[in-house]
Amino acid sequence: MSDRSQLIETGKPFIFDAQRDAEFERLVKRYPTRESMILPSLWLVQEQEGWISAEAMAYIADRIGTFPSMVYEAATFYTMYNLQPKGKYHICVCRTLSCYLLGKQEIVDYLKQELGIKPGEVSADGQFSLEEVECLGHCGSAPVVQVNGEFYEDMNVAKLKELLATLK
Amino acid sequence: MAEKVKLFVNGQEVEVEAGKNLIDAFGAIGIEIPHLCYHPALGADGNCRMCLVGIEDGRPPLVPACKTKVAEGMKVQLDAEKIKKIQRDIMELELINHPIDCPICDQAGECKLQDYYMKYDGQPSRMTVKPVLKAKKMDFGCGVVHDQERCVLCARCVRFTRLITKTGELGIVNRTDAARVNIFPGRPLNNRYALNVVDLCPVGAMTSRDFRFKQRAWFLTKSPSICHGCSKGCNIFIDHNREKYKDDVIYRYRPRLNEKVNGYFMCDEGRMTYKLENDNRLGTPRVNGREAGFDEAIESVRRAVSEAKKAVVLISPNASLEQMFAAQQFAAAINAPVSGYSDGYVKAGDGDDFLIKDDKSANRASFALLGIDDSKTAFEAALNGADLLLSFDNDLSRSLSGDALTQLLADTKLIMVASSQTDCVAKAAVAVPVASYSEDAGSLVNCDGRLQSYEVAVVKNQPAKSLIEVLHLCGGEIKSNQEARAGLQAAVAVLKDIDLEQIPAEGIALTESEVAHVAA
Repeated sequence: MSDRSQLIETGKPFIFDAQRDAEFERLVKRYPTRESMILPSLWLVQEQEGWISAEAMAYIADRIGTFPSMVYEAATFYTMYNLQPKGKYHICVCRTLSCYLLGKQEIVDYLKQELGIKPGEVSADGQFSLEEVECLGHCGSAPVVQVNGEFYEDMNVAKLKELLATLK
Repeated sequence: MAEKVKLFVNGQEVEVEAGKNLIDAFGAIGIEIPHLCYHPALGADGNCRMCLVGIEDGRPPLVPACKTKVAEGMKVQLDAEKIKKIQRDIMELELINHPIDCPICDQAGECKLQDYYMKYDGQPSRMTVKPVLKAKKMDFGCGVVHDQERCVLCARCVRFTRLITKTGELGIVNRTDAARVNIFPGRPLNNRYALNVVDLCPVGAMTSRDFRFKQRAWFLTKSPSICHGCSKGCNIFIDHNREKYKDDVIYRYRPRLNEKVNGYFMCDEGRMTYKLENDNRLGTPRVNGREAGFDEAIESVRRAVSEAKKAVVLISPNASLEQMFAAQQFAAAINAPVSGYSDGYVKAGDGDDFLIKDDKSANRASFALLGIDDSKTAFEAALNGADLLLSFDNDLSRSLSGDALTQLLADTKLIMVASSQTDCVAKAAVAVPVASYSEDAGSLVNCDGRLQSYEVAVVKNQPAKSLIEVLHLCGGEIKSNQEARAGLQAAVAVLKDIDLEQIPAEGIALTESEVAHVAA
């Protein structure tokens, strides 16, 4: 595990847009305690901004009425929360067993070469970011790639080439 | 008395208090169950797994003792090979990434990790990979310095800020071997009890900036006492040491458990009042602005008293019950009115609903007990026509502005019997040094009417005389605390049935029921 505790401060206050604000108010009624809103709120921030800044965490804590340290704990615990800006297209390649056996490494190697970045990095033009992730739950159609949350199944280099062409 | 239950530990029958968990119940009868995360004030968290014990009743193999209540007839197994192995394994796990920098760690000597390693582990490390490196000497604010590498992630500090102070500054971030305690960026510890996390920390991860690298824990003498920082009267340990060729010096105060007063904690301001006991003390007697011998100073006090047309005795609200009584008797003998005027010791609005009180003196409640008036009007009335003011460690410069004090001293001679250097001492015609509370014994009544006593903690190379001795040398009847206590019992109705020589550790609430209970 790597250290994810170094948060990035944007220097600008964060606030939910109207859509996320409404979604927050809708979700908060679901739970017995307001603390339960920490994880959904972090998702809302990530949906809105693509990543979660220190200011956004403080905003969530304020909004929920809890300690910023609680939000900080949750955000750094779950690796699917991005704590730094990602590319316009965030590509996740599954590296867990089924995908591993069915050739995820070829996919990663191809992407590394094509995009010029290693997993965990963002391309210089800000278009792409690449990440190797744990099981995405699509073992039946491994290997699997996710682009901004969309699944692409039974992947191979040829299909990936087509996919990248549509993204560029 | 609390209800008892009988149960078996390692096959042996024992009787313990009912309703408690295994750690507390067995701890009270001297059977230790190792634990890192459990603390009576913070509750059972069950994260360290060090307290796993076996219970022979068909439960899952092992249960955490911190979360298990004692029950009649329970059969508890503490020394099974399986349990010993788990304890060994947990110690090994905790030590994988521990820096083992005990030689430079302040906690060494009072460190649970050290103690438990020696007692439950004792094996050499099997680690051949590099340890995970984390941040060291992080400034967490409020004088707390954190070392993430020493941390065992028991979350006591985190729980303290969430459950006790309700400020929640700390959290455990990341997970697995990257997990660490941290503050949210830009939001350091910001509460008046923050230094308690240093005491709570079972290892050396939380250290006090004030105490860091000052003393090794095993050199310190830990003397029980009462904090004089405010009228709460928190129970403390005075940790002091006389280094070779030096004087006895206090290095820190730590809270001492008293469920009836402060629980396990104390405030940061009170904790730092130890500095007043070390520094800026009045050492040499002074007569008319020049240094003088002790006998000469006493002689000038006696002369001033006998020459005075009207003297007024001013008593400090920090004086012990015995000292107040002796001063009151002394005042009666020289026909002087007594005042306890000390408005400057009260910081209105400073207190909170936990331990900090507005009144920054330790024993104002005793004024009421002895009928000493501490109002300003009474003080001014007493001063009317007086030409001598005898102040027994009452720092008037706290209560009066500089001008008002100068004006008062224009036609009144001031004699200060004082423990520390103050503006008031500088202006006094005669200044006589006395022992402060850390060097003296006595009794106090706190803001809730609880009578507590403290003993001599620090013995200086050249000890100052106690206030009662000075009073006696100046012509007072009473020679010692014992005589004062006898006098108090005769004079104060509520103390009649109390043995002031043997006040119980938790103190006595000066209410009829409890006094009767203790007397019986």
